[in-house]
Amino acid sequence: MGLWEKCLGRLEGELSPQQFNTWIRPLHAIEDGASLRLLAPNRFVLDWVNERFIEQINAVVVQLANGRAPRVQIEVGAKRQTAPAPSAAQQGLAPGAVTGAIHGAGRDSGPTWLNPEYTFDTFVAGKSNELARAASLQAAQDVTGAYNPLFIYGGVGLGKTHLMHAIGNYIKQYRPAARVVYLHSERYVADMVKALQHNTIDDFKRYYRSVDALLIDDIQFFAGKERSQEEFFHTFNALLEGQRQVVMTCDRYPKEVSGLEERLISRFGWGLTVVIEPPELETRVAILMSKAEQAQAQLPDDVAFFIAKRFRANIRELEGALRRVIANARFTHRPVSLDLTKEALRDLLALQDKLVSIENIQKTVADYYKMRVADLNSPRRTRNVARPRQVAMALAKDLTHNSLPEIGRAFGGRDHTTVLHACRKVCELKERDTRLAEEYSVLVRILTS
Amino acid sequence: MIQLPLQVTLNDNASFANFVAGENGEALAAVQGDTQRVIYLWGTSASGKTHLLQASCRKAAEQGLQAAYLPLAQMSELSTTVLDDLEQLALICLDDVQAVAGHAEWERVLFHLYNRARDSGARLLVAADTAPAALPITLPDLASRLSWGLVLQLRPLQDAGKLTALQQRARNRGIELPDEVGRFLLARFTRDLPGLLEFLQRLDLASLAAQRKLTIPLIRQLINN
Repeated sequence: MGLWEKCLGRLEGELSPQQFNTWIRPLHAIEDGASLRLLAPNRFVLDWVNERFIEQINAVVVQLANGRAPRVQIEVGAKRQTAPAPSAAQQGLAPGAVTGAIHGAGRDSGPTWLNPEYTFDTFVAGKSNELARAASLQAAQDVTGAYNPLFIYGGVGLGKTHLMHAIGNYIKQYRPAARVVYLHSERYVADMVKALQHNTIDDFKRYYRSVDALLIDDIQFFAGKERSQEEFFHTFNALLEGQRQVVMTCDRYPKEVSGLEERLISRFGWGLTVVIEPPELETRVAILMSKAEQAQAQLPDDVAFFIAKRFRANIRELEGALRRVIANARFTHRPVSLDLTKEALRDLLALQDKLVSIENIQKTVADYYKMRVADLNSPRRTRNVARPRQVAMALAKDLTHNSLPEIGRAFGGRDHTTVLHACRKVCELKERDTRLAEEYSVLVRILTS
Repeated sequence: MIQLPLQVTLNDNASFANFVAGENGEALAAVQGDTQRVIYLWGTSASGKTHLLQASCRKAAEQGLQAAYLPLAQMSELSTTVLDDLEQLALICLDDVQAVAGHAEWERVLFHLYNRARDSGARLLVAADTAPAALPITLPDLASRLSWGLVLQLRPLQDAGKLTALQQRARNRGIELPDEVGRFLLARFTRDLPGLLEFLQRLDLASLAAQRKLTIPLIRQLINN
């Protein structure tokens, strides 16, 4: 048993379980006789341990070291050293679920961060996403073509990231030497900050400007980050000039992201912009069937329809429900059946039933603003009617599992874009109009308690 | 004169071995197994969430892996930089996520940690007092990801299970806790398991100090004090 291991045994007894598991467990020890180096995962943990536990650690080390106590040093670090330059920083990450994904690692092309499970073959197409799928396939087949940049937008959990990885995997399959990089916009920002701190910004620039395809996810997280936008703007231009493919995803239409520079927004529109809508019932069933097959589980039709009808908001929720059913069947050694499904999802279904319906939202909002439900659903667009209607729509989006088209239909047959606009509007108003914010939270309370 | 017992602290912390499953066998199996990368446990207080999270940290350490347990209810006032780079660990346990739901900055940081953990292969165990859909999370990206993993509800132990857990912990301290003494505790003291276990520790010290067997009169005396 190593010295640190012995110390851990002692410290575990001396500290509360919480202190021990929160601050001591994450430390990684490197022992070499004369010194004991403790690596903390980040600066915060390092400072905390230094302030509160280092004396105790030292005392325990002295006690247990049999006279030749090593010097205890604590620093920020990881088992595998991370470096500031973007490519190196990424290589420094622990290998894991996507290790198999790192196509071409070891070649010059470096890691791509592509998940090999996300391909066009495993993407379940339907009416809601076929345009986005077709555009993505085009972009993958002809990286210098008209679909550059490709901009995919839509709500959470609808398959944007899947399509993006599919493009990357496709390119790698047909052009193994191509340098394809997938990353979340947050990582781009974080890597850039690190590069600035470590004075390696030139490496950073070179790295991103030299790829053959850059796939960048959730660009709405660039909002308000001017320095990152500036750098991305130049990277973007360099790639497009060099006829390299750029694919971006966003949770909304580019013009609707507040805090993004105008020149970026206008460039995003140079290629093709496609939307992904929430999947309709048949697509949801097909998704469940495909996922069950991947998990090597038998999924009867009636069960697939049952789950697909009850979980509509997004694909993650759908997959979560299926995961729960399969796990329960395996744990209880029973086949997946409708009965088992209802039982396994009992708590989730009960919760859903408690969630409100559009109908009672309309009634509550109408009462609150002293108007009639018929007014909410009427074609009238005067402000005293339109604002409560927008509030009701936003509540329906937040509190029910109905899709945007369903909500639109329930409000006098309106379009889903009207609902989307209403939700954005209310969201925006909540930020600057305290009265509306208050009204909204009162309504949420009335509806959910 | 009371003889003060030597402060020998006993390693009585949460492990899988001292988890009494009751109705939570599926959750125990899921957390112990390695097929699920993200598990979300929810239930009332004293339903075993913290125990399973800390036991998982222990198991990871036994396998030579780095793990961290983050009680967000106690950390919500700290800087979110406490979560920086945690994806390099093998296991991240986030307890009491409800405590930071609705805090924009914490939600954003948790969302990024989720993504990074997914990229790095780190395992994520999350616990909260309600199901993901009932958490007041405002960032839809985070909300949808929490309902993506395996979501399991934990149910508190019935009295029989609590008695078993109490006796098991007592035995670990070298104390034989007779059924009637255990039932007495449940009936008169508290039925909340963490509270009982804490009381057990005080009983242990008291019986050592008084050099007496753990009996109902001794417990009465202690409760009265």
